Amino acid sequence: MKLQVKLTFYNAIFQALIVIAIGILLPIIIQRVVYNHIDKRLHARADKMMKIIELGGLDDIIKDQECSFDQYNIFKEEYVSISPLSFMPQNFGKDSIENAERNIENEVVKHRVLSRSFLYDNQLYQIEIGEGLSTVEQLNHTINKFTLWMVVIIVLISALMNMTLVQLLLEPFNRIVTKKLKTIHHPATFVEDRIRTSTYEFSYLDQSINEMMIKIRSAFDIEREFITNVSHELLTPISILQNRIENILSDSSLPHDAAVKIVESQKTLLRLSKVIRALLYISKIENEQFLKNENADLQTVTYEVIDELEDRLLQKDIKVHKEWRNDFEMNKCNKSLIHTMLFNLVSNAIKYNKEKGEIFITGKRIDDYFLLSIKDTGIGISEDHLPHIFDRFKRFRPEDEMSYGLGLPIVRTIANFHHIRIEVSSVLNSGTEFRLFFSDTIS
Amino acid sequence: MNVLIVEDERQLSHEIEIFLTKQGYQCDVAFTGKSASEKIYVNSYDFVLLDIGLPDYNGFNLLREAKQSGKESAFIIVTARGSTDDKITGLDLGADDYLSKPFSLLELQARMQAILRRKHGLKNNTIEINGFVLDIQNRTVSFKNNPINLTKKEFDILHYMALHKNRVITRVQLTEHIWGDVLEEDYESNYIDVHIKNLRKKLSVYGNTDFIETVRGIGYRLNMA
Repeated sequence: MKLQVKLTFYNAIFQALIVIAIGILLPIIIQRVVYNHIDKRLHARADKMMKIIELGGLDDIIKDQECSFDQYNIFKEEYVSISPLSFMPQNFGKDSIENAERNIENEVVKHRVLSRSFLYDNQLYQIEIGEGLSTVEQLNHTINKFTLWMVVIIVLISALMNMTLVQLLLEPFNRIVTKKLKTIHHPATFVEDRIRTSTYEFSYLDQSINEMMIKIRSAFDIEREFITNVSHELLTPISILQNRIENILSDSSLPHDAAVKIVESQKTLLRLSKVIRALLYISKIENEQFLKNENADLQTVTYEVIDELEDRLLQKDIKVHKEWRNDFEMNKCNKSLIHTMLFNLVSNAIKYNKEKGEIFITGKRIDDYFLLSIKDTGIGISEDHLPHIFDRFKRFRPEDEMSYGLGLPIVRTIANFHHIRIEVSSVLNSGTEFRLFFSDTIS
Repeated sequence: MNVLIVEDERQLSHEIEIFLTKQGYQCDVAFTGKSASEKIYVNSYDFVLLDIGLPDYNGFNLLREAKQSGKESAFIIVTARGSTDDKITGLDLGADDYLSKPFSLLELQARMQAILRRKHGLKNNTIEINGFVLDIQNRTVSFKNNPINLTKKEFDILHYMALHKNRVITRVQLTEHIWGDVLEEDYESNYIDVHIKNLRKKLSVYGNTDFIETVRGIGYRLNMA
């Protein structure tokens, strides 16, 4: 998941939680506030009633109330009732407030009711002052609804702003990813331009990548220099020896026995020279000293290799079955490297094959890949050895006595260089199959 | 034929000189780019064997200068770096051929002869051995106008032995010639012997193949008057 998506996602979850919390808490809070206000008012009214009773007496009030109640209380919003009590309540002298339904004028209406008991003329009375709740509840509902919508809108706006902000904040990071991580395949093509950002972490990241790439590049340069030095310093003496041996051999006065020994030395020297050349070859590919600027039709290259090996096929009387279902053009490749890779694979398929054996070469498209399979009916590779066949200088089979164990490492290096995936499967005494998966975008 | 050997490794240039002198070439040597430049300017050579990796001079510049001054010499560039880039650069600058160290002296001689053939535009480009006719241009062999079906490698081997007639060619030299560019597994194989066996078999249908002689423990020799 992308960081930007993640951040936006977490933000959205957080905001949604806020909305839910407000949705739950808001009605409770509003109700509390409203009740608080009503209660204050009820207390004040009760106090006022008590004063009136002290000054004017209870009888007047009752009389007054009874005659004017209807007229002033059409909506049953408020009411006052005074009634005698026959027992002493537990909370005498204290006000109690509760929500209760009161029947007023034959209509049951929900009220907030304050009740207070008092002594008048040695008689216990209870005064109840009520305020209707229906309007208040409606108001509550409206306020709740309004506030909730407001919160939702604010959250949406803030989520949008968040997204934009995150995008803006991460923009330098995205640039680091696309400019420095995705497009750079080789230290030589690395551009050390700094990405402009005021964010410390990104600037640090960018700087670290730069420093790392510069280190890698210098390691590459050192290796390149090493390769050049080895090439010159080892291949020159070999060259001298080789030519000297050739000159000695052309001397007609050389005794035959000595000549045979010198020829043996020539073979040893060839071995040394081939190992050094193969190692240099691998290093050069790994050091990206080969260009990938050619197009090659894979079928053409494969068939060229088979042609080139015609004699060896004839020698062992091996039949090649070619099946090419789709065309495949390699872009940006190195033709001579591809040729070498296929040559080594096909020549192995011959070398480790049986007399009158067979080789199946198949090229076909499978989904996003082009598959080239080279399958032989040879001696196979045992399961223990299979994971190590691409290791340098590994020789497992008796036929390997005369090889230096660099054929398959070269194949792997070339395949890696071209981003070609290799799979190998083998059954001992029955054959080996190498499957090469070429992707459409090779570079 | 005059050859200038431009090579800073004295031992190497000495071996090349011995070989080419034996083959009848007049050899001159230069150990530095500077002296090579002077020699090319003053003398006229048929061949210049030029090591690209000179300590004092960029071999490519030397080649460029010589080509610009209109020298007719054929240039064979030699490098120990063995990179394809060098090869392309050299050939683009007008070099006639390219060899990577280490190379066989027989290979050098074969390349020089090929350059000569190209330069002189030899149309009738055939070698005759005991009635067998090798057409170098079309890479075919025939006997009294009967074409003989050889594989590419078999033709290469026969041609190479004909070029170096009357001298022993070791298996290593033949291997290097026909598989030299290929970095493959075997450092010692019997491929050459099988090739020769098949070659003899195919030729013997038409005539005597005793001219291909096996020199025990060493290699092969093509005997030709």
